[in-house]
Formats: sequence, C-alpha cells, structure tokens
Amino acid sequence: MSIEVEAAPPTATRTYRPAMGRGWWTRKSHYFWYMVREFTALPLALWLLWLLFEIQRAGRGASGYYPPSSTPFVIFSVICLLFALYHSFTFLSLAGVILHFKVLDKPVASRLIVLSQFGGWLVASIVIGAVLIGFGR
Amino acid sequence: MAEKRITIRATRYDPEKDRAPRMQSYDIPFTDDAMVVLDALNYIKSHVDGSLSYRWSCRMGICGSCGMTVNGTPKLSCSAFLRDYWPRSVTVTPLNNFPIVRDLVVDMEDFMEKLKSIKPWIIRKEELPLGAGEHRQTMDQIDDFRQFSQCINCMLCYSACPVYGLDDKFLGPAAIALARRYNLDSRDQGTKERLPMIAHPDGIWECSFVGECSVVCPKGVDPAKAIQQTKLDTTMRFVLPYGNRE
Amino acid sequence: MFAQGGVLAALLIPVHILVQGVLGPLGIVTVVDRHYDTWISILGNPIVKLYLLVLISLPFFHFAHRLRYLLVDLGIPAAKGLPVQVVFYGGAVLVTLVAVWVLLTTAPLSLG
Repeated sequence: MSIEVEAAPPTATRTYRPAMGRGWWTRKSHYFWYMVREFTALPLALWLLWLLFEIQRAGRGASGYYPPSSTPFVIFSVICLLFALYHSFTFLSLAGVILHFKVLDKPVASRLIVLSQFGGWLVASIVIGAVLIGFGR
Repeated sequence: MAEKRITIRATRYDPEKDRAPRMQSYDIPFTDDAMVVLDALNYIKSHVDGSLSYRWSCRMGICGSCGMTVNGTPKLSCSAFLRDYWPRSVTVTPLNNFPIVRDLVVDMEDFMEKLKSIKPWIIRKEELPLGAGEHRQTMDQIDDFRQFSQCINCMLCYSACPVYGLDDKFLGPAAIALARRYNLDSRDQGTKERLPMIAHPDGIWECSFVGECSVVCPKGVDPAKAIQQTKLDTTMRFVLPYGNRE
Repeated sequence: MFAQGGVLAALLIPVHILVQGVLGPLGIVTVVDRHYDTWISILGNPIVKLYLLVLISLPFFHFAHRLRYLLVDLGIPAAKGLPVQVVFYGGAVLVTLVAVWVLLTTAPLSLG
C-alpha cells in the first residue's frame, strides 16, 4: 500500500519582514542625539564657506571691504557655534574609545586619552584665538 | 490585600493564519518581586495560552536565547524585571530588524551566516607540531581580547543597530567584535584572511558609530569599540610599511 | 583622511566661530578681520594661507562623508551609490580647488 504525501506549498513558512520606517531616530533619545551629532557637519560646512567668502572679500580692495557685523550673521554664528561645540565634545570624547595603544606594555586608560584630546583642544583654541585677536586692532 | 497583577502585551503571529502580526494582552498575577519577563511568558504559556511561542533556555543571562524587544528596548527576557515596569503594562515584541517566524521567534539565519563568514577560529600559517606542546599565553595576552570573547550571540546588538535595520547586508556588531577577538588573540595568524569580509564596504565601513549596540549588550562586549578600533587598525595596516603587517 | 578632517574641525573651528563670528562682530575683542589692512596683511603670509587651506578643505571631506551617511540613515539608500558619492566628494574637491584659487589670488604673497 502506498501512502500519498502531499507536497507542502513552497511558502509554507511565511516569515514576516517588518519594514523599518524612516522615523526610527525620533523614537529613542540616544538615536535622536546621534542624528544631531551627524547633522553638525552641515552648519560647520556652511560657516567654513562663509569664512572662504570672507577671505575672498579682502580681494575687493580697501573700499569694498566691510567687517561682518550684522545681527543675522551673529545669530547664524551662535547657532553654528553651538553645533560646533557639540561636534567637538562628541568627537573628542569618542576618540577615547577608538584610540588604543600601550605604553611600556600597559594599555593607556581611555580616560587619559580623552583628557589629552580635550587638553589639545584647549591649547589649540588659545593659540589660534591669540593670533586672531592679537593681530587685530 | 488584593493580589498584584500586571498586563503583558505580546506579539502574536501564526504564519498559516495571519497576514500580519497582532498584539494580544494577558493579565497575570505579579506575585514575586523577582519575576522577570520570561517568568511572565512561562506563566502565560502554562496557565493562560499554550500557543504562545518564544525561545529561552538557561533563564540566567548566559545562553543568549531569549532576546526580545521589551517596551521598545532589546533585552534578554530573563534579565528584564517586571518590577521595573509595573504598574505600566509590558509590551513584548520580537527582536527588531529580523524576520518574524512565529509570535516572538525570529529568523536567525542571517546572523549565523555573518558569524561564520569572519572565520571565528584560530587560523595558523603553520600548525605547531604535536611535540611542541600547547600554545602558551600570558594573562596580559588574554586581556588583549578577553572583553570581545564575552559575546553570547544574543543578537540584541543587531536589533539595536539602525544601520543593520536599514540594510541587512551590514556585517554587524557581533560578527565584527568576534573577528577582532580572533585577530587580537596571540595564537591567531588569520588577520589577513579575515580582511576581505572586514574591510568590505558592507563590513566595518558601513558602521557610523551610533553606539546603541554597546548600550544594549548584556555582557559588556562593547562591539562599537571593537568596530572603531578595527577601523583604525585596518587603516594603519594600509598605511604602515609592509613589514609591520600581521 | 576623513577622520583627520573631523579632528581638525573639532579642534580648530569652534574658536574661529567664537572669535570671528561672535566676539568680533559684537565688538568685544579686536579681531584680525575687523579692518581691511590687518586682514589683507595676515592673508599675505604663506603659513596663514596654508593653515586656512587645511582648515577649510580637510574638514570638508569629513563633512561630505558624514552628510552622505546622514542621508543613508534618513532612509535614502541611493546615497550609497556612485552618483551621490561623486556629488558629495566631488563637492569637497571643488571647495578645495576654490579655496586654493581664493587663497592664491586674494592677497599678494608676502613674508611681512
């Protein structure tokens, strides 16, 4: 006696694939601040483009040059500064995760690495600030 | 005194009957303050609805079987205490970013393939002869990779990773951390062999350091750190003179 | 290379924005770009030109990379493709070339 076995339909186990949706970063604060961190690239790029424009304006000669002073420009700079500070804080803090090396066979603590990054930031800011302010009048 | 109760909402999906997953609510006694979500699921399966399907095994946070999304966060259900949610209800859904097989069970195939693809075993250029004895390792050499060896393959990191969610070709946190575990092992000489999978555009370079993988990891593996350090090491390999490559 | 741009951006840009974008325009400190003659004279210095070139162009490659991946995160997988790469990284190359041109033509090279 033969037993007939019905072949199972090819899609017998139908796994369900949920769609991810584009608003994933709005649902968790950590994801949201990650997107802010990535977004900081845009205001920084715009401010650097302004700086390039500012350099180019010097080529117009003494009569054509005016220093930036408008209120909208200051507001734009303040907003860019906030984003720049967020970029610096997050980027330099994460350097402690990424950089790893040993001194005399002992791994350097990440806290020390991060501190050195922030120290470097302070020194660089002081030096550049001194040049920008010192050569002005 | 009235008995304390808690509401568990769980995803139900029967591939033979349902077109899409739906939620089902269960109201159960919350008798012991040490109760975890897994206890709640077991209670439901034993006393309320025997058809509820889910994975679990050790119930103590070491086997990695019971990964689920609990109130939006990937967690091991044996390590999620009901007292942290009560009196609010607890919503249990399958791990994000994976196809759902049934109820709370997800398809692990892609994860398993990714783990295998990075060759998670000691690779030697030449095996030591038997007479040479065992490979010796100092405690410091073990410390070099110890953290990355703690992975229990629970997939919470893949569930938390939005990059993997957007594109499942991404190699993913656990696989890369595992590759680093072997690359850093002093007994291993296989870094070059793993390089094609690691330095691939779908490998480490797809990661944008969201960092959520390390936040949800129940074992403190810190896969985000593993990936970023691998990015640095891989770049230095490219830059340093030939003799330094190993 | 992209990471270097990010490091430079993190270390150098904030002080420029603070001094040239906020404190200077508000008149709180003197700044080198508040007057034409001080600005043009410092721009003539070749070290300054090199510094400004590095300050502007390297971070731009970093920004291009970050913003392209921001698009991927926003659910636009086309951002991984070659055309978008050309737009973003090509944009950074363009900014570099413009910066070189501006820095070479704006102030005469002087060691004063």
